[in-house]
Amino acid sequence: MGATQSFGDMVAVRDVAGKYISKLGEKNDKVVVVNADLSGTSRNKGFVEEFPDRSFNVGIAEQDLVSFSAGLAHEGFMPYAFTMAPFISMRACEQCRTDVAYGHLNVRLIGNYAGYSSGVSGATHCALEDCAIMGSMAGMTVLEPGDPYQICKMLEATLTWDGPVYIRSGIEALKPIYPEDYDYRIGKAIIAREGKDGAFICSGIVVQFALEAAERLYAETGADIRVIDMHTIKPIDREAVIAAARTGRVIAAQDHNIIGGLGYYAAAVIAESGIPTKFRILGCPDHFVPIATAPYLFHKNEYDTDGLVKNMEAMLENRGE
Amino acid sequence: MPDNGSENSVKKNGRSREELVRELEKRALEIRKNLLTLCSQQVIHIGGDLSVADVMTVLWQYQIRYDTKNPKDESRDRFILSKGHAAAVTSFNQAAIGCYDNADIFREYAQDNGRFAMHSCNLINPHVEVSTGSLGHGLPVAAGIAQALKLKKNETSRVYVVTGDGEHGEGSLWEAIMNAAHYKLGNLVCIVDCNGLGFDGTLKDITGLGDIADKYRIFGWNVTEVDGHEIDELIDAFDHLPPTSFDKPTALICHTVKGHGVDFMENQVKWHAGRLSEENRDEAIRQLEDAFNRKWGGQ
Repeated sequence: MGATQSFGDMVAVRDVAGKYISKLGEKNDKVVVVNADLSGTSRNKGFVEEFPDRSFNVGIAEQDLVSFSAGLAHEGFMPYAFTMAPFISMRACEQCRTDVAYGHLNVRLIGNYAGYSSGVSGATHCALEDCAIMGSMAGMTVLEPGDPYQICKMLEATLTWDGPVYIRSGIEALKPIYPEDYDYRIGKAIIAREGKDGAFICSGIVVQFALEAAERLYAETGADIRVIDMHTIKPIDREAVIAAARTGRVIAAQDHNIIGGLGYYAAAVIAESGIPTKFRILGCPDHFVPIATAPYLFHKNEYDTDGLVKNMEAMLENRGE
Repeated sequence: MPDNGSENSVKKNGRSREELVRELEKRALEIRKNLLTLCSQQVIHIGGDLSVADVMTVLWQYQIRYDTKNPKDESRDRFILSKGHAAAVTSFNQAAIGCYDNADIFREYAQDNGRFAMHSCNLINPHVEVSTGSLGHGLPVAAGIAQALKLKKNETSRVYVVTGDGEHGEGSLWEAIMNAAHYKLGNLVCIVDCNGLGFDGTLKDITGLGDIADKYRIFGWNVTEVDGHEIDELIDAFDHLPPTSFDKPTALICHTVKGHGVDFMENQVKWHAGRLSEENRDEAIRQLEDAFNRKWGGQ
């Protein structure tokens, strides 16, 4: 995407998104960008420079960020409202729900620093609740890319998607995992790795850990573990979850509070399906933690590569019984 | 579309100023009678409906550009009820210009799948621009709409918002007040119904606002202050709004009385919301009709 970048380089979702939003602006003159004093953090200064008339900055006022965007959407524009995930999902929670979702408006809420990304800044800057909060709003679509360039596909899809969308992402650099062009649809999970002996259902950075974990498990145990990139948390791809359940071993992992995150969405589908399977949810614990780096917290809570391997190995014990 | 919308609106054409005022006062009386009748059937926010009844009558039946048969016409004025609990007074005014029949409101208010209720809901009512109820949302959304109109180069339409003074306790309103001034939204008119009462008592005893007009001025707004029950002053204020291209949004500060026109309701916190007995309804309507007849010498 950038002049000095080539496919294969690690890159953060926000860097790709910030640049790609300019492309959307070129394609569609209804696209407008609204910031709340974090255009630098959100990497969309390029759009602001290219389309000054279609860029707005409400200042440090996230409630107004969302309400002002709702107003623009009422008049037929497609606002992309950028800020940090904790602020858009919590400070502006009622605005997302009442001003955007109630009106079924085409506002795109883009939250960065999701999960423990900002662990070194403390819990104020982490979004560990956003999938639970945003997902419980009627008609709200919730997305999280597991590949840095997938955000382009997602943003592209939002141009024609009817209704509000929330896109969360962490700030860590991610490794591109889809070398070829591919068909992307909101609500349709991507099988990042085929496998029949178990499945990881994950989103965001955890997709990357899961791919490494699956390779290690195959090398060490011969077990063939599927990796499902559940980029659409809501509406979740039920078929993909049910197919995962049929392997008999499912681990759902996300950088989000275990309660109300991807694991809960997957669990509901599995429980309703009646398919017997081993099932485990990995994610952030239900208590606040002291300042720490994201990799430390991923490891401690066992949804990094080591943790995923360990938990799947436990499920694989007594295999064949 | 005629400048002030519907064929049922009150036009100046050839009327003397006195006749114009009399006609609008008569229409405000009809609105109040409808509100009191509804209030004898249902719990409504009667106090705040009555305080803003004259303002709403002049806005909806004299001022607004609105084609009742084409509620999505691009050149319409947008109306957002930030104090969403004044939905009944809005609905009756919309009925007066032909959006519905009064009978529709009496029949559907707070009923299953009804178009009318304590707060404005746009899901099945095309005459509600934005659904509101929770305070502090309407003005921020309206600022986005006003900005969108400028982006679309629509220099005709205005965005009228009705807020309450108590509603100004919501911080989100102040975010929009700053933002609207920053973006020079001259097409935005924020009407403030200053009835001085919240649900728990007088605002000055709860958390006082001080001089709200001064606050708007210092935040960079064009400010007009009127007696919100003087139709004549309201006509003047609307007639003299600056052009939509003006570099400041306008705050129309309306000093009003909660429960206005009914002696046992005026300034009574308990009449924020409630239901009237038939006896009290008849007494209230009699008081309003007597006052009108005293002023205008009968109908």
